[in-house]
Amino acid sequence: MIFSQRRRIATASIIAAGALVLAGCSSSVNDSAEGASAASECGTWAVAMHAWNGYTASAQVVAEVAKANGCTITQTTLEEAGVTYDAMEAGTIDLIIEDWGGGRWKEWVDRGSVVEVGDNGNIGLIGMYVPPWMAAKYPDILDSANLNKYADMFKTSDSGGKGAWYEGPPGYTTIGEKMISANKLNYKAISTGSEAALVDVLTKAEANKTPALAYFYTPGTLFIKIPGLEQSRVKFPANDWSDAAKASGLTDYPETALKKLASKKLMDSNSVFATIVKNFNWTNADQNSVSADIEGGMKPAEAANKWIAANPDKVKAWLGN
Amino acid sequence: MRHFKKSHLLIGVGLVWIAFSRIFQGDQTLELATSDNTAFTTSVGDVAASIRGNRTKSAAFIYFFNPIRAAINGFVEIIRSIISVPSGNSIIPVIGWFGVVAIVAFAVYATSKLRTALLAVSLLLACGALGMWQFTMDTLAMTLASVLLSLLFGIPLGIWAGLSDRVLKILTPFLDLAQILPTLVYLAPLALFFLIGTASATIATMVYSIPIAIRITAHAIRNLNQSPIEAALSMGSTPKQTLTKVQLPMAKQMIILGVNQTVMAALSFVVIAALIGAPGLGKPVVDALIIRNVGQGFVAGFAVVFVAILLDRSTSAAAKAQEGFIPMTSQQIQRGRIKRGLAGLAAIAAIFASRSVLSLAVWPGSINIAQQVEDVTNHVTKWVTTNLYIFTVGFKDFISNWVLNPIETLLAFSPWFVTLSAIVLIAAVIGGIRVAMLATGLLALIVLSGLWHEAMITLTQTIVATLLTMSIGIALGIWVGRSVRAERILRPFLDAGQTLPAFVYLIPMLGLFGPTRFTAIATGIVYSIPVVVKIVSEGIRAVPVAMIEAATVAGSTVRQIITKVQLPAAKKAILLATNQGMIFVLAVVVIGGFVGSGGLGYLVILGGSKPDLQGKGLVAGFAILLLGVTIDRIAQASARRT
Repeated sequence: MIFSQRRRIATASIIAAGALVLAGCSSSVNDSAEGASAASECGTWAVAMHAWNGYTASAQVVAEVAKANGCTITQTTLEEAGVTYDAMEAGTIDLIIEDWGGGRWKEWVDRGSVVEVGDNGNIGLIGMYVPPWMAAKYPDILDSANLNKYADMFKTSDSGGKGAWYEGPPGYTTIGEKMISANKLNYKAISTGSEAALVDVLTKAEANKTPALAYFYTPGTLFIKIPGLEQSRVKFPANDWSDAAKASGLTDYPETALKKLASKKLMDSNSVFATIVKNFNWTNADQNSVSADIEGGMKPAEAANKWIAANPDKVKAWLGN
Repeated sequence: MRHFKKSHLLIGVGLVWIAFSRIFQGDQTLELATSDNTAFTTSVGDVAASIRGNRTKSAAFIYFFNPIRAAINGFVEIIRSIISVPSGNSIIPVIGWFGVVAIVAFAVYATSKLRTALLAVSLLLACGALGMWQFTMDTLAMTLASVLLSLLFGIPLGIWAGLSDRVLKILTPFLDLAQILPTLVYLAPLALFFLIGTASATIATMVYSIPIAIRITAHAIRNLNQSPIEAALSMGSTPKQTLTKVQLPMAKQMIILGVNQTVMAALSFVVIAALIGAPGLGKPVVDALIIRNVGQGFVAGFAVVFVAILLDRSTSAAAKAQEGFIPMTSQQIQRGRIKRGLAGLAAIAAIFASRSVLSLAVWPGSINIAQQVEDVTNHVTKWVTTNLYIFTVGFKDFISNWVLNPIETLLAFSPWFVTLSAIVLIAAVIGGIRVAMLATGLLALIVLSGLWHEAMITLTQTIVATLLTMSIGIALGIWVGRSVRAERILRPFLDAGQTLPAFVYLIPMLGLFGPTRFTAIATGIVYSIPVVVKIVSEGIRAVPVAMIEAATVAGSTVRQIITKVQLPAAKKAILLATNQGMIFVLAVVVIGGFVGSGGLGYLVILGGSKPDLQGKGLVAGFAILLLGVTIDRIAQASARRT
């Protein structure tokens, strides 16, 4: 038995060796596909894909423009911030097209692995929203001073006897806890895992006429899907930025110019992709038009190409030096 | 009589605990806002930042970590370029899909039998049809690389531990620890040293699978029939000759079984390893979790299941082929050899074809049913979540309000010293003074870490999930233990549950229950039920037939037999199952941090995304470890003491 087993293994290894020899031979598929494989001057670059719709729109448009100019683009879904900066340091990611986190990348920039490329033209504004039916029925709820009055309505089995405050996902810029304590609110921040979960919370609340208080942001297309949502943002007292000591009592989110971050490798290269990344700039309306198409069921690449075809001038400006 | 007293003591501790908790509710709970650091977590964060800063500068990195990373990366990339990613300047891997299918078919056929080979081929083709070909190949490459490396270190260490008591004694605590450690915990520290990428993912997978290779190899060597070994020694064989000519050949089947277990462990890890950059099927699973697309998660999940069945069946079939009572005639051997030779030639021809014909090299995009599977799944999920909303949410709310919240109030919202003393007293009652002292030390460390409150949130979820798991698992275990038919019905589900990475069914649970603590709990239950059912049913089956017959003759009803005879006799198995169940549940509950369950797991995940909370995330990982060891020691002591 052992004898026969050994024979089997011997046969198997001979054949495996044969396969390897064969693998060493040149393959005719490679020859026949020469055209497609020819490395262009642009090179191969990896774009981080963060999981919110607006990001997808921006990243896809940049990717499609780059592909049309001879670049090979890979797209990798990754959690935001630290994870992605580390990936950029490790050389596996080259571009973040939309980062909200004012300066949290400093350490990586100081080390020279990540480069700040500047604003991408979008202005981000995070806020806490209630479904429009609530804003209509209880108009004074939009003033944060009245939130405590309604706290009981927002209770769930997970909110520990307080109002449920649906907070953004881990990688997003979130100051919910600080807002709650600075504004002395009787609410509990509950983490949600994703943009999809936030969309779910607000959509269900509006459809079922149930109460909800959730984190959301512009640019974004949920405002198109839920009419009146944009006007249902709860207004908090503005942060007092004049006093550094008071800045820790963050009362509301500021408007943020969204940034592009790239790997040093990309920005040091003379690749056309570096040029595109440097020049890429568009408005919230631009982004919304692409994300609305994606939201409507169009494949991201299709939606991006539709916008590119409709906006040749803008695209041309990104390519020019 | 002793047992009677013990339960009274436990009830006493419980009542005093509840009373104190009521009186001091909300005092000294050591709550810490999610975004706040303590002095300790800040300093851990500073250390982490300085490690990151030293990656290109310090000698430890230049001469140790970076070369290891480069070597492992290179090794994985070679395997990937053979079957998965374009090699060199080519647009296809060295071997196209058709060639891979042929090699798998041949390898399985040569080591076991035709039927298994056919199964393997259809599973591979199914992965392709799901549009997951390249992800599947990446997973195979990652699994192969980590298994080869695990065996390279694991088998020699296992043999050594098999031969030397001292080595076994030194290794055992580490092996125990590696098995308690929830997988989420060591991803971040590894990524700190080896960066995000294939190297970190491979090493993390090895941490998970090496202990199994070592354990089973050592066990195989230790449990051999001693007489042939003594005979060999008495005939003057050197220890080396005895090892290579007698012990290893005798232990071979068991060692191959160890390979099977190592492969399955590596595969189940490869999915979660996507969090630190492992290529493969974990990617679409994690993507689906992030964008919350249940359908996409299912498509990738199916592929994971197929690969799991493929690897399990083919490696266990190879192990079975090692045994055989009737020696084959030389004619049979001859015929087998010819058949395998022909099959080998066919495989070579297929490899050649896969390198010359593009449609045999790259999986044809037209053969793809992913969209259909995704759509069907999403439709079903949508129907369930909109129409059964009342039931799912009702059930979730019921459990949350009546079980989860009261226990959370008791554990996390009592003063820390009340909860700590209560746990230590419970440990003392069921485990004795030594376990109580150990628990005191471990819990005190959690208090010092500053994350006590979060740890108690996680402990609450672990306890609730374990309670639910045990009530379902014991019922199923009794059923399976008493009926052969039940076993036949449940076996495939139990097997699938054990091979399927927990990450995969986190997504449908999220669809059902939304981003809540209960989603994590439900996932933990599904993940741990198979192991509980297995241990309980074995315990029930091990009850001597004579005892049951005696009870039947005495006129007991079925219910009486179960409650008065089988359950008490299987008590040890049930306690053991509780221990295993808790460890399994803990591993999953912390992953629930991704879907809104809060607690320590959420802090670990937050630490990965928010640079200013990285230290806190690392400390949270350590606190999970402390919690795991505490739970394990107390539960084990209770199983040992019965």
